Amino acid sequence: MAKTYDCLFKLLLIGDSGVGKTSILFRFSEDAFNISFISTIGIDFKIRTIDLDGKKVKLQIWDTAGQERFRTITTAYYRGSMGIMLVYDVTNEKSFENIKNWIRNIEENASADVEKMILGNKCDLDAKRQVSKERGEQLAVEYQIKFVETSAKDSLNVEYAFYTLARDIKAKMEKKQEASNPPGGRSGAHQLKANEQQRKPTSWLSRCSVL
Amino acid sequence: MSQKTTRGQDGNRDHYRASNCPEAALISARVLSAEGAPATRSASGVERRPSAPRPPLNKRGSGSLLSQPAPQSKYLWIRIALFERQLAKIIEHLVNNASRYYERDALVADPDYGSILSSLLVGPCALEYSKAKAPAYFWTDPPADELVQRHRMSAGTTTPPSVRRPILNFRRSLNASSDDGSVVNAGTANTSASSAKDYVESLHQNSRATLLYGKNNVRVQPKDVEEPMPGYLSLHQSAAGLVIKWTPNQLMNGYAESEGIDKSQFRWHLVHVSACPHKCILCSAAPCTVFRQRCAGSLCINCVYWAMSLQVCVWEVVYVHVHRSKASDALILVGQDGVQRPPIHFPKGGHLLSFLSNLETGLLPHGQLDPPLWSQRGTGKVFGRGKIRRRPLPSLCESGESEEPDWEEVAGDYVFRIVNNAITDREAMRHSLLERVVQSPPRTPRRPLASTSTTSSDSSTMSVDCPSTGVNGHTPTPPPNPIVEEVASIELVCSTMRRQIISRAFYGWLAYCRHLSTVRTHLSGLVNPNIISKEGIESGLTEEIWRSMMDNRGVVTDKDEVYRIVYYGGVQHDIRREVWPFLLGYYEFGSTAEERMEQDMTYRRQYETTMSEWLCVEAIVRQRDREATAASIARLTESSGKPRPEITEPNEVFEDDCSVISDNPPIVSPEPSENEQRKPESKPVLSRAPSIDEVDNIELDSEEKEKDVDKLNGETETIDSRDVDSLNDLEEDDKVCIKSVVENPDMRRESIAEIKRLAEGFVQKGEGRGLLCSVDSGNANLNGNDMRSSIDEVQPDTHQQHTSVIITNPSVDLAPSGSPASGGTTANVSPARSPLGVVREESHSAGASFDTLEPSDGRPDNRSNCVSPASSNGGVYSNELVESFALNLHRIEKDVQRCDRNYPFFTDENLDKLRNIMCTYVWEHLETGYMQGMCDLVAPLLVIMKEEASAHALFSRLMHRARDNFPSGQAMDAHFADMRSLIQILDCELYELMHAHGDYTHFYFCYRWFLLDFKRELLYQDVFAAWELIWVARHVASEHMVLFIALALLETYRDVILANAMDFTDIIKFFNEMAERHDASAVLSLARDLVLQVQTLIENK
Repeated sequence: MAKTYDCLFKLLLIGDSGVGKTSILFRFSEDAFNISFISTIGIDFKIRTIDLDGKKVKLQIWDTAGQERFRTITTAYYRGSMGIMLVYDVTNEKSFENIKNWIRNIEENASADVEKMILGNKCDLDAKRQVSKERGEQLAVEYQIKFVETSAKDSLNVEYAFYTLARDIKAKMEKKQEASNPPGGRSGAHQLKANEQQRKPTSWLSRCSVL
Repeated sequence: MSQKTTRGQDGNRDHYRASNCPEAALISARVLSAEGAPATRSASGVERRPSAPRPPLNKRGSGSLLSQPAPQSKYLWIRIALFERQLAKIIEHLVNNASRYYERDALVADPDYGSILSSLLVGPCALEYSKAKAPAYFWTDPPADELVQRHRMSAGTTTPPSVRRPILNFRRSLNASSDDGSVVNAGTANTSASSAKDYVESLHQNSRATLLYGKNNVRVQPKDVEEPMPGYLSLHQSAAGLVIKWTPNQLMNGYAESEGIDKSQFRWHLVHVSACPHKCILCSAAPCTVFRQRCAGSLCINCVYWAMSLQVCVWEVVYVHVHRSKASDALILVGQDGVQRPPIHFPKGGHLLSFLSNLETGLLPHGQLDPPLWSQRGTGKVFGRGKIRRRPLPSLCESGESEEPDWEEVAGDYVFRIVNNAITDREAMRHSLLERVVQSPPRTPRRPLASTSTTSSDSSTMSVDCPSTGVNGHTPTPPPNPIVEEVASIELVCSTMRRQIISRAFYGWLAYCRHLSTVRTHLSGLVNPNIISKEGIESGLTEEIWRSMMDNRGVVTDKDEVYRIVYYGGVQHDIRREVWPFLLGYYEFGSTAEERMEQDMTYRRQYETTMSEWLCVEAIVRQRDREATAASIARLTESSGKPRPEITEPNEVFEDDCSVISDNPPIVSPEPSENEQRKPESKPVLSRAPSIDEVDNIELDSEEKEKDVDKLNGETETIDSRDVDSLNDLEEDDKVCIKSVVENPDMRRESIAEIKRLAEGFVQKGEGRGLLCSVDSGNANLNGNDMRSSIDEVQPDTHQQHTSVIITNPSVDLAPSGSPASGGTTANVSPARSPLGVVREESHSAGASFDTLEPSDGRPDNRSNCVSPASSNGGVYSNELVESFALNLHRIEKDVQRCDRNYPFFTDENLDKLRNIMCTYVWEHLETGYMQGMCDLVAPLLVIMKEEASAHALFSRLMHRARDNFPSGQAMDAHFADMRSLIQILDCELYELMHAHGDYTHFYFCYRWFLLDFKRELLYQDVFAAWELIWVARHVASEHMVLFIALALLETYRDVILANAMDFTDIIKFFNEMAERHDASAVLSLARDLVLQVQTLIENK
């Protein structure tokens, strides 16, 4: 089947259970919200192709189970991912504190240069808020990760978050490519590689690889 | 095309005027809101239709709408009306009232065209556009449904066995080895397989071929069928030229739907591979494998329809005959060889004409219809209006030449010739073929030789074969060799061949034997050795059978028979509640009804006791939560600008109490003064109100009180002497508020509610102060006939059995936040739970606040014990315990709240039950704790049992096995390993695919299947059946039935998986999308077949 995208990015959503990972994903992929999501067991993913500066970028977003008991399974997916969304729930202090653990988890399992982003979800529930936006920002500064508060329910910043992450991945990728191919001229090796990429479009690793 | 513009112009002019049409009013309101507030549209869209996803119009179009508002908004109403599926109604309204809105010569005002227009729109309006996505989406990632549908159409094309390794079944493979002809057949089957796959692909609009025309319910009468069958006619423009295809509806819809229709025509039966005497003559490969096909005699069912389907390359057609009659329009294609294809009957109403025009368009630029349809008339530019110059068939219609009757009205016969522009080429080609001289290949993809066959495979085969035949024919014969040399070389060749054949056969046999021995060693543990037959089982376990198996004391003895019946037939839904406890081993077979009732009773008491234990802890947890929340909120308001380090947070907020404690645990000196200050103001409120004035039945029980206070003192003393002091100070007040509630449950309910209410008030006033309320639950009814009536005043001697519940301001978290779980729990549960003999309430502010204000990160042994005064087990919970339960509790609540909410059973009340079961189980197994997925396992049990205690009993049973599946256990890895060997052995083709992709032999895609026993994969009623099967299978066929069900699921879709060469991500996506859409009964019966297969294999050593 014809592949109609230029790049495939594999993203991952992690965070404590119940912070709204599935809702965020559902909002982004189907543009809908359902109050009664069931807990994610195992793994799932959704796909959406977005247009990024003229390039069609296919985002393959993996949704994981939140309970740390299942980390053994979910960490298996860290390795291949190019971007990770860390999600916490602004009405749940604990989930915010756990972001640090999740980051440590990423450092242990994901590739070193994976792009990250912190999302403070459920920011529509201002009355129940336990974690201020400032604290989120501070944490983000501390780890030098981008941060945004989102609401899957009100569709606030969800698109923005994914576009930002995707754009960062793309920028990083292009930078890498440039570094490996000095601007003096395109080497034959690169050309060969490009051909190779076209021949095997099914494997995402061969395309847009940041590894 | 013209219709569209008409719609646009006319409709746009009028859509505001059509206010007396309700649909139009609705749409114009939508349009106004869309035009008026494009920026906020996304939010309002959701509000309007909370259940439906927003149409992509909004999703993708918001940008473009803003950039080019003028043309977009002009047609916006049409799009919105389409999305709302109202367009047809609006147009119909317009047509009916055309005189009011339109000029007389307007298209809509025309009596014929107006109504045609409106009825044409009914079709488009029936589609669900809101789910539509960008077209690219369909090409790249077809949804699981489409994959399955495509597969159904090409299902006849399973890979022939010669390609496969020898499979499990002996007879089958022996047949294959003895059957030399199968090689030839396999070859053709192979090509037909690939071409059929292409065929299915090509029916859809895809990147290789453009769909020019498609019409369903076009009837064709294939040979051997009495009357014309409806099917889908389509015209495709591909690189190879124009192709006309007709596919029977049965193939289009998949045989699931067609079964009902065609039962009379073919006798179908599910057969075991070895049992089927037939061999499909077309695909020869898989007459009917047990996996996926049904036997229909000499043709497998797919091939029956495949044989009927048409695929005609237009370039092979010379003449197109058209026979028009009153009933229908028939079109007959005549090939170059003069052979007629079966007539294609179009429904009335211009479809034939439209097909012909598309055909003519499609023929360009290389060919044309002769005579052309409409090009020379000028008036014919309007689609569907063309008057046609045609050449009447001389033999049939002599007078036709001079007349030009209206195409729409008059019956007649016409013939068109399909002319190739390079006609001379063709003549030359024919000539040259006769002369066996090959010219350069024709410019057009036209075949030089007409194919007589119309089956799907042949035309494409022809396209490959023809040129090569030509080349071969042209090859000069080799120069004559000396005869001796020739003979020698032939001998050499023959002997080489012989040797090769023998060695291949030998190695094949060797591999097969090795394979089988592996199979046996790997699989022998998975199934039971004895095959238990299905004999005599028709209906499953119905109520009738069940009752007949039970003697008058309610004893069921023949458990093997029960298992056997359930294994093959399941349980009738009505008696599941009765049978499940047996199946799960909670009830013993052989027990009398009375014994079981006794067992239930005992269990219920136990359950309630356990529950009261954790309710105690829950209360403490609630209190802490409330404080933590208060802390965060306080911090949020207090210092929004400068977040502090988190560890110190709890202390900072409750500086007065906690910081002191944590700094210096034993000494609480600064605090008490504050406590005492608060006491007076809060106490009286609590104590006065309920105990004497309002509740008559609540009597003061000073004796009881004294006792409790003594006990309390004794315990608290160990904690903090300062606390005890304060407690003693309180004694006078306490006297008033200690109540014992007796007599009838209603009263108790009232009083509990009362206590809650008070507690609420109390907590609000004395914020942070804990209210200690101990609920004695004892076996008040040890003799227990009527639980309620037997409840009396609490006897001192029952005290030992009592457990106590500390309810620290139970209503604070719950009532205000509206969470049904916590506050309601005590209220709902305890009254119903009879053994609650006495409800005593004590206000114990100092002690409680001390405990609960303990910082959550506190040292485990800094004596932050929680006191429950009357508890039988000492009532002291370590901080560790409380914390770990708190963690579990929060998780449980999160998951219970979102468990199967779309299933009507799970109302708030039942979710509460679910939560209680879950908490009780976790309380009993705190070392493992709650794990996501447990809720899913309880839910179906609760649905069947309806009652908490018995559902809990069954769940505990279920978890004996299921526990190992969770991450803490080892079973999941074992399952994956077993799956791997099963697939390797039963379906090595699939295994190779998985292996080729490398990354999914770990089988994570079936993680959820095993973890939840397919609960998320199947619908509820199917889950029941699947679970029963799993439970009883261990006694009947296999302890690992889950494996076989998983395998059955995989095998059901194996061809889809193979055909699309799915990788790991594809397969995850596929099965996640297919969740709850499987044909469960087929899957389960396939699973049983698979077990049987493995059993047979092992038996036949």
